[in-house]
Amino acid sequence: MFVSVAGPRLQIYLPIAELSMNLFFLIGIGGAVGFLSGLFGVGGGFLLTPLLIFSGVPAPVAVASVTSQVAAASTSGALSYYRRGGIDLHLALYLVLASTIGAMAGVATFSVLRAFGQLDLFISVSYLLVLGFFGTVMMTEATRTFLRRRRGLVIREKLPGQHNWIHALPMRIRFKRSRLYISVIPVLAIGVFIGWVGALLGIGGGFILVPALVYLLRVPANVVVGTSLLQVVAMMCVTTILQALTSQSVDILLAFCLMVGGTVGAQFGASAGKYLRGDQLRALLALLVLGVAIRFGLTLVLAPSDPFSTAVLAAGGAG
Amino acid sequence: MKVRWFGLAVFALLVAAPAGAETLVSTVSSPSIQITSSFDGATLTLFGNIESGTPGVAPVGPFNVIVVVTGPPQDRVARLKTNVFGIWTNTDQVTFRQFPSFYSVLASGKLQSIADPQVLLDQSVFPTDQAMTAVVGKASTKSMEFGAELVRLMTEAGHFVIDEGAVHFLSSTAYVAQVTLPSDVANGGFIAHTIVLDQDRQLVAEGSQNFSVTKTGFENFVFVASRQQPLLYGIVCVLLALGTGWLAGVVFRR
Repeated sequence: MFVSVAGPRLQIYLPIAELSMNLFFLIGIGGAVGFLSGLFGVGGGFLLTPLLIFSGVPAPVAVASVTSQVAAASTSGALSYYRRGGIDLHLALYLVLASTIGAMAGVATFSVLRAFGQLDLFISVSYLLVLGFFGTVMMTEATRTFLRRRRGLVIREKLPGQHNWIHALPMRIRFKRSRLYISVIPVLAIGVFIGWVGALLGIGGGFILVPALVYLLRVPANVVVGTSLLQVVAMMCVTTILQALTSQSVDILLAFCLMVGGTVGAQFGASAGKYLRGDQLRALLALLVLGVAIRFGLTLVLAPSDPFSTAVLAAGGAG
Repeated sequence: MKVRWFGLAVFALLVAAPAGAETLVSTVSSPSIQITSSFDGATLTLFGNIESGTPGVAPVGPFNVIVVVTGPPQDRVARLKTNVFGIWTNTDQVTFRQFPSFYSVLASGKLQSIADPQVLLDQSVFPTDQAMTAVVGKASTKSMEFGAELVRLMTEAGHFVIDEGAVHFLSSTAYVAQVTLPSDVANGGFIAHTIVLDQDRQLVAEGSQNFSVTKTGFENFVFVASRQQPLLYGIVCVLLALGTGWLAGVVFRR
């Protein structure tokens, strides 16, 4: 509909990014990342945003456009969990409200950093810290499970009845479907943090939210993924609108190409995921997350191929 | 009465233009380049003819031509990364206001051999001259260094080009040149400034043409919508995302 065939190369002009890219390349990376996101049950923004920046898309456009792609990729997953009753709507509501506030703060931080010229550094350091930390946590956990399984021990996927100091905080609320009676403070804190990081880095934060819900709040396994997906959808929708209002850098054509590839890829990924065990999936995801973290770490530590760089501050003339 | 006024005007022109001075007649192949969905850069042809100021007398050649194509200005910043406690980070920067987003110098020969250095300087032909006029505050060694680096970066990105063989003469007075605009060219008004040089490497005639690069149709609609109706634009993006996700779920469930 939006493209016309011009020889063997199928270029599509992206009106907000103001450059043309190969349509198959966009759908391809959308599909590849979508496959991984379907496989691991994460949005895949942490892979897609750096890939786009690396391909020449301006960083603000990449971050803002990927938010709507993550919303699309998580929607079909969230819907199927909803039909199976795998979503704690009450818990999701609290998380969404808190993450909306976090997302607003994230979009504001984004604008401030862009003005100071330190957006690159901040994004690299944040990716390194956030991905490095959660990658290590996931890797440790998956390795431990794997070793126990080798020794023939019975694995308890859920940890029933175990409480920690987080549950003892004041302002307790009952979440029926999760069978939890816990303080609202950690729920809101997790929501704000996910919203802030997600808006800032253009990631859904599913790979942060799932372990946070499991290990900190002890949300049972049957509702954790669905609730996380719903939260990601809601937050990415809010962030997309905020980015459209403030940075005006959401490229709807870029996002749509990524969505088409991403949603299709996610379906295949979800089917492929059935052939792998939970700990194997988590170990692979951890490797992927750590790989991206190391890649960002190297750009900080290794001497750049070109110490000079340039960026547009504003269009000087009209148009 | 009319005839007399006309005669006076011709007389005034003849007095104003020194006898034997050349004039330039030039044009561009398309005054408006439209960006459509399949836009992947464009090639524009610039052509012109050098005419004698005195009717009936052929212009005395040979001539050389330099065409400078300048894209819409942008405020740009050039940054330098240095190693601070083991981490490479931007530590220094110079801002350039109204710096051309595109700059292409097309010539019929080596710039130094076809034009006097003073003419090249007066006309600000070299891209580094553009950087110096755009620099904010007083020009310094640092701003000159950053300006040169900015020009290098723009050249590597394909936005700054010096092509000393791009202008071809069809006859002793008619020339043609082609300028290639990259696919990520800035939108807005462009100026093609042509200068004609004689055997003594001095300027004998000059002229400018404007052309524009604009988004059209759907691309323009999207861009304008994102700027004028950002809330609505954001909501449409969200609905598109939810719709696509929902549709994929429905299609693959069967």
